[in-house]
Amino acid sequence: MGPGDHAFVSYDNDEARWDVLTAFTRLGLARGERVIVFPRPGLSEEEVLARLDFPHRTTATARIEGQLVLSSMRRLISPDHVFTADRQRSRLREETAQAVAEGYTGLRTFIDMHWVPELDADVRTMMHRESHAEDLFTGRPYSEICAYDRRWFTPEVLTAMAEAHPRNLLEKLGALRMERTPDGALRFVGEADAATKRPFLTALELALVQSAGAGRLTLDLVPLHFLSVGCATGLLTLVQDASGHHRVEVRCGPVQLRLLHRLGATSIPRLTLSEVARPC
Amino acid sequence: MLTPESARPQSTGAEASVRYLLQRRFTARLLPQVRLLVEECAAREGLAEPRRGEFVLAVDEVASNAVEHAGGSGRLVLRRTDDELECLVIDSGPGFTEAVIPELLPGLDGAPTGRGLWMARLVADRLSISPGPVDGAMVTLAVRLF
Repeated sequence: MGPGDHAFVSYDNDEARWDVLTAFTRLGLARGERVIVFPRPGLSEEEVLARLDFPHRTTATARIEGQLVLSSMRRLISPDHVFTADRQRSRLREETAQAVAEGYTGLRTFIDMHWVPELDADVRTMMHRESHAEDLFTGRPYSEICAYDRRWFTPEVLTAMAEAHPRNLLEKLGALRMERTPDGALRFVGEADAATKRPFLTALELALVQSAGAGRLTLDLVPLHFLSVGCATGLLTLVQDASGHHRVEVRCGPVQLRLLHRLGATSIPRLTLSEVARPC
Repeated sequence: MLTPESARPQSTGAEASVRYLLQRRFTARLLPQVRLLVEECAAREGLAEPRRGEFVLAVDEVASNAVEHAGGSGRLVLRRTDDELECLVIDSGPGFTEAVIPELLPGLDGAPTGRGLWMARLVADRLSISPGPVDGAMVTLAVRLF
């Protein structure tokens, strides 16, 4: 996650959901951003802070200095009592500008979507806001994770919201998911490491077999937060040995690009690496 | 999980400006968490991308090597010196030397092992392997911050 990212995550496990919140918050603080957490209404601040502090250094200093803020949607839109997308967007833009004015490199927010029932807000109004939020992110040092409880929101809402967000995250650290993009690329999300190497390579192998007739395949590694040497080597080996392909394109970030180059990507004529810049 | 002072690596007289950032025991299951903590510390110390991502990659490769070849676990110490971010990965395995790292990157059709440590040595500004404080091995890798 970086500036300009708007991400969806869902959970149905009250333990696992802390993984994403903790990682997002701690990396934001380390990068000099202000972090505002909108936890599930009803959770005590003590519990949220204790979770954020595990398993490493305390966030107390960030809290005291105002870099880390625990808030609520009710407080954000105050003095308004009724949620409107315009009021929320306006307040988040103000918070972003204020964070930058105070010397932070940007603002990131983690929003547990249980604020919707808490404020008795209209789900369709919330969905419209989530689907039309580009102006909050484009060209702004602002990022946001919206966390949906699968036990409360309907499958239809969850599906629509997953599609409405440019990024979809996994709820646990160390997980890997494969999916097809609208343009047919095979996209990897999460972490491709020693533990997930087998499913990573199996999905790739299958995709190569399925695309042999077309002669081309596109792989999207951009949503991968981590790519190990073993997984990168396996990718190059499979692409090198693939039969029937005249072009395999890999979309990747700068660290992945350097890794693949160093492992010999340029020796594979059918392989094209495309560096994808972050949105902001 | 903090490591007691007595379990820290032997200090030398030149360590006056060393600041300990992170000390963790790890197994395969904990590697994603360790990567996150190393990334957090590296960002806090001002290591910018893409060097930060490469440092996390190098640490993961060394730690994964300990998990795979040295009994499934190890201990990681991350510390800041005047101008470097330095990571020590200590294991209790049979021990090894830099001789296991191939001089040149094995081709894609070549030997399946050694690439991780080869890459760690390539992206680090400094990498060395020595006997561990008790047994096993201690890999030290460092990147310059300025």
